[in-house]
Amino acid sequence: MNAVWTVFRKELLDAFRDRRMVLVALVVMPLAVPLLLAGLSTLGMRKQAEQLERTLELPVVGREHAPNLLAWLATHDVRVIDAPADPEAAVRGQRHEAILRISPSYAEDWRAGRPASLELVYDSSRPLQSGATVARLRGLLDAYDREVGALRLVARGIHPSVAQPLRLGSRDVATPESRFDLAQQMLPYLLLLLAFVGGMQLAVDATAGERERQSLEPLLATPASREAIISGKILATAAFTLLSLLATLVMYRVAFTFVPENRVDASLAVPADALVKLLLVVLPVVLLGATVLTALAAFARSHREAQGYLPLLIFLPMLPTLYLMVAPVKTRAWMLAVPFLGQNQLILRVLRGERIAPFEWALSLGAGALLVVAVWWLAARLYHREQLAASG
Amino acid sequence: MIEVIELRKSFATRTGRVTAVDGVSFRAADGEITGLLGPNGAGKTTTLRMLYTLMQPESGRVLIDGHDPAARPDEVRRRLGVLPDARGLYKRLTARENIAYFGRLHGLDPARIDERVARLADALGMREILDRRAEGFSQGERTKTAIARALVHDPRNVLLDEPTNGLDVMTTRSLRGFLRELRAEGRCVLLSSHVMQEVAALCDRIVVIARGRVVARGTPDELRERTGEASLEDAFVRAIGSDEGLLA
Repeated sequence: MNAVWTVFRKELLDAFRDRRMVLVALVVMPLAVPLLLAGLSTLGMRKQAEQLERTLELPVVGREHAPNLLAWLATHDVRVIDAPADPEAAVRGQRHEAILRISPSYAEDWRAGRPASLELVYDSSRPLQSGATVARLRGLLDAYDREVGALRLVARGIHPSVAQPLRLGSRDVATPESRFDLAQQMLPYLLLLLAFVGGMQLAVDATAGERERQSLEPLLATPASREAIISGKILATAAFTLLSLLATLVMYRVAFTFVPENRVDASLAVPADALVKLLLVVLPVVLLGATVLTALAAFARSHREAQGYLPLLIFLPMLPTLYLMVAPVKTRAWMLAVPFLGQNQLILRVLRGERIAPFEWALSLGAGALLVVAVWWLAARLYHREQLAASG
Repeated sequence: MIEVIELRKSFATRTGRVTAVDGVSFRAADGEITGLLGPNGAGKTTTLRMLYTLMQPESGRVLIDGHDPAARPDEVRRRLGVLPDARGLYKRLTARENIAYFGRLHGLDPARIDERVARLADALGMREILDRRAEGFSQGERTKTAIARALVHDPRNVLLDEPTNGLDVMTTRSLRGFLRELRAEGRCVLLSSHVMQEVAALCDRIVVIARGRVVARGTPDELRERTGEASLEDAFVRAIGSDEGLLA
């Protein structure tokens, strides 16, 4: 136990004297993550607002058939322009977001009281670019439809509500914290990624780097057991990663108090008491990452080789997020025991301000602890290999 | 006291199994400096690594003060001070911190570590570099720090793999003086070298190793006598059967 503490202290001292490592872990990352999310969120909000508020330019095919409709649209901030020769190609080529085509029989049908045909040309595979425009147009056309329909009923002496057997109201039960957006979806992944590979530099330096600098062989000639040595290194890596995460979360909170509330989604701000819960949620991932990195670094022959595994490790915490994107599922208890997936769910719940039951904490932390012990055992076996120190 | 009995070790390589140590036996007594002399690749480093528990012998036995490394690795490591061929320091730590780290791993308390650091710094002439970071140390300063680190726990047996490798003349001279002091204190000093003059100048007993086997042993005088050569160098060449690997 003494040796674990000795190794732990030495590795942290060594790490804190590495200016580049400290700069990246405690300054660059904590600044980059909040900036990225705040930037994304602001950008998203601004784009949405622009699309809703700006004058909509709408190319229309067959303008001459429906002058009244177009005049009505003009009073609702839509500027009608001439349509290109091939509307489908123009939309596909992204020169226009949507084009309205008015059927040549529109005026005739209108006068006869038959449904007059309109066609909206748009590309549903580009919801981010044209989704808001299309929704706005549909809303306007629906409103015109209802308005004229109601007038026709009134002209025939019928109350418009006769044609409205249902009145659908909706009540959104989301709390302000549970509103979801892109940036919030990214926060769990970024947190898990930082937790998992944030200690890369330290872990690699403490094992592969130690071997490269040729200081591992003398270390293994001391009475300290190899289990004690790796435990000290793993704990140092985990402590450093936690510190980096704490700095990131604090910066994240600070950043969102500076941004005016109407410029970003308020749901991104993390309440102070949630910080502690978030750290506890990701603790198993931090330890798992430190252990996996130490095992990998013991296995790799050099710094370079160890860092070659990084892309693979970055991919792991992404899996549950990807899974949830294609198959959004209800949280079930067993999921909390699955590494990354469980933490992902718990992070979202903490951010939404939901309560986490004691047995759920136990499940997540317990499953994490078991996995850490298993990988730790593997790392210890790797440390007992003769090739570890005797590379020459 | 170090006893080595019929030690054997082989490695799997791409071209097949290579026997690095092939039945090596010798004894290094307390109060003496024993030299393992042999060309590069003769099996000296592998032999030493089995002594300090980094490698397991395939067969044969090692006894350090009567303790078997296979049975009591921690006890053996406590009784050994080891300067391996790989002697890297932690560059961001000072010489003192490097030495103290190993002192704590040996279970020494801070007061004892301070006392040992002071004594070793005097003996090795490294007082002025104690509180400098190891980054930018010269080869000699690195070796001194590594030796102090290896001896911080005051071990009875001292193993040094090519201790004067890369050192200048003055540092080599002071290192030899230091090793003689260790001998005078009654310690068992075992060093390996491929430099004949080094072994001749320092060692009470020489064990000549070539291709994993002991090919000759004795005091420098005995070696000269037995081979009938006037110089130790010629005796050495005759003992290992060729002069390959001697031009380092």
